[in-house]
Amino acid sequence: MAIVSLQQIGKNYGSVTAVHEFDLTINDGEFLVLLGPSGCGKSTTLRMIAGLESISKGTLEIGGKVMNAVDPKDRGVAMVFQNYALYPHKSVFDNMAMALKLQRVPADEIQRRVGGVADMLGLTDFLERKPAALSGGQRQRVAIGRAIVRTPEVFLFDEPLSNLDAKLRVRMRMELQQLHERLGVTSIYVTHDQVEAMTLADRIVIMDSGVVAQVGTPREVYDDPATIFVAGFIGSPAMNFINIEPAGDYGWKSKDSSFAISDLNGFDTADLTSVTLGIRPEDIEVVARDSKTGDPWCFDADIRLAELLGADALLNLSVAGEDMLVRVGGVDHPERGHQIGIRIAPARLHAFNPDTGKALPRIQKH
Amino acid sequence: MTKRPRYGLYLLVIISVVISFFPIVWLILTSVKTTAGIYAWPPQYWPTPVTFENYWTIITQSPELLRYVLNSFIVGVGCTALTLVFGGLAGYALSRLNLKFAGFLMVGILAVSMFPPVSLLPSLFQNFLQLGLLNTYTGLILAHAGLFLPFTVWMLASYFATLPVEIEEAARMDGMGFLRIFLTIVLPLSWPGFVATGLIVFIFSWNEFPLALVLMTQNAMRTAPVGISLYPGEYAFPWETISTATVIAIIPILIITAIFQKQIVGGLTAGAGK
Repeated sequence: MAIVSLQQIGKNYGSVTAVHEFDLTINDGEFLVLLGPSGCGKSTTLRMIAGLESISKGTLEIGGKVMNAVDPKDRGVAMVFQNYALYPHKSVFDNMAMALKLQRVPADEIQRRVGGVADMLGLTDFLERKPAALSGGQRQRVAIGRAIVRTPEVFLFDEPLSNLDAKLRVRMRMELQQLHERLGVTSIYVTHDQVEAMTLADRIVIMDSGVVAQVGTPREVYDDPATIFVAGFIGSPAMNFINIEPAGDYGWKSKDSSFAISDLNGFDTADLTSVTLGIRPEDIEVVARDSKTGDPWCFDADIRLAELLGADALLNLSVAGEDMLVRVGGVDHPERGHQIGIRIAPARLHAFNPDTGKALPRIQKH
Repeated sequence: MTKRPRYGLYLLVIISVVISFFPIVWLILTSVKTTAGIYAWPPQYWPTPVTFENYWTIITQSPELLRYVLNSFIVGVGCTALTLVFGGLAGYALSRLNLKFAGFLMVGILAVSMFPPVSLLPSLFQNFLQLGLLNTYTGLILAHAGLFLPFTVWMLASYFATLPVEIEEAARMDGMGFLRIFLTIVLPLSWPGFVATGLIVFIFSWNEFPLALVLMTQNAMRTAPVGISLYPGEYAFPWETISTATVIAIIPILIITAIFQKQIVGGLTAGAGK
């Protein structure tokens, strides 16, 4: 087990910069998730830690030792790949034993260690099979087993569940969680799936175009997104955004519609001429239409579309000409064409500087 | 949607099969005709009588044909082995090792392979003469290997490119070096590509004419196509001997191709999709 320290790590491909100065210390035993859309540099970062990609600048330390130029096998890391990357012509046992054989570990110890890991992962009956004779979930278990057998100091996961079907993905996610609790090995996990990130991570690193947008616990990145990008990326369905500008006595008013709010006092808007308001679909509640009197956070809304998802329903609203998505309970939800009242929870409101994309600091809690 | 029979497609297939097989069929028919049958007018479409006398004559009276076939076989096998070893290593390096000028090298290899072999002949002959490589298996094997190596490099490099790179990365993480990855992981996974490429190179070498003609001047060292083409006498053109010898010379190729046909097709289309 080890601390992994990335100091201003960057990656260039010619004139293209894939990763800008990445600065982070991953604690011993931590489960860190790198999250972001494709092409954001998360896989490149992981591959630099693995040693499969050279580091253009900065310093990588694992367990206190500089690893920039160290061969992948000597870094004490093991990696699980998205498409399993098993040796198709070798048996499950040989797949898991390969690294130990190359380290010239005695045969009886290999037998014991592979046997132990196979037992832990429920692979004992499949040791003589070739990967082609296994299901997707079993193959991914072999790939994980191959990593565990080496008793690495750091586990690297590159989207390990994206090739599995939805049901299996949920099960493997839980197995990974239990495995991490049991082994306690520092883990770095790359994914574009926010559910995996939220459920597995101690801390999430959200990346955007090669830059770290935010580092925080799942709670922090959901409750206090640091930028518009993070706010829009975390949460499903995505946050509603409305661009508003000061309108003298009326408070703040939308540029493109008649949506207006009287009060943005909760945020340090300084002398901004424009603010992007962010409201999560789950932070809006449906209220009786006549309850709005006196409450500045109540609005009239027309339901343009109602989608039942099962437990929940999504209402596509028009609020004073502004599109807004609201998540409500799935039982007896309001139907399309109806007019309703809504209330936005002011304490759950987000505001961003549209020019920098940064969240505006709150000056008081409602 | 029900599939309706595609008559047009079958028609095209039949036409192309007839056109491409006619010379071979005619060759085989000629080889079982009598001399009178060959020169008969109007032509005999079906040999009457069918005779295997030509085969018997060739086998008993011109033992050099078997020698030609053996020469072709030795040169073909040697050339195939040499190109697969070097083409495999070069193709792997060019497709996987992130060499700086890999793209440039690949195009360069293709460009030099476009020189017609005839243009190489004078200088090749001169060099081989000085090195004592004329009329040796080594000489023609080297010449053919040089001629077909670009093709091999391209075929194998594009085959390697179709293998999932993560398997090799996993092997690196497991602690293998490039050569070990090539030998223990890449080779077992790409043998269909090697079989296909090797067969095509073998056939190329078997059929190659100009270099074999010039670099093998002694009768005992001639390859099958050269030897057979030099059969014609001064006044007569012995069609029955030539066609019979040609049939004998293509039999090994036909057998090998029939055995490995699946790999050839699989190897040639490996990059086309799953």
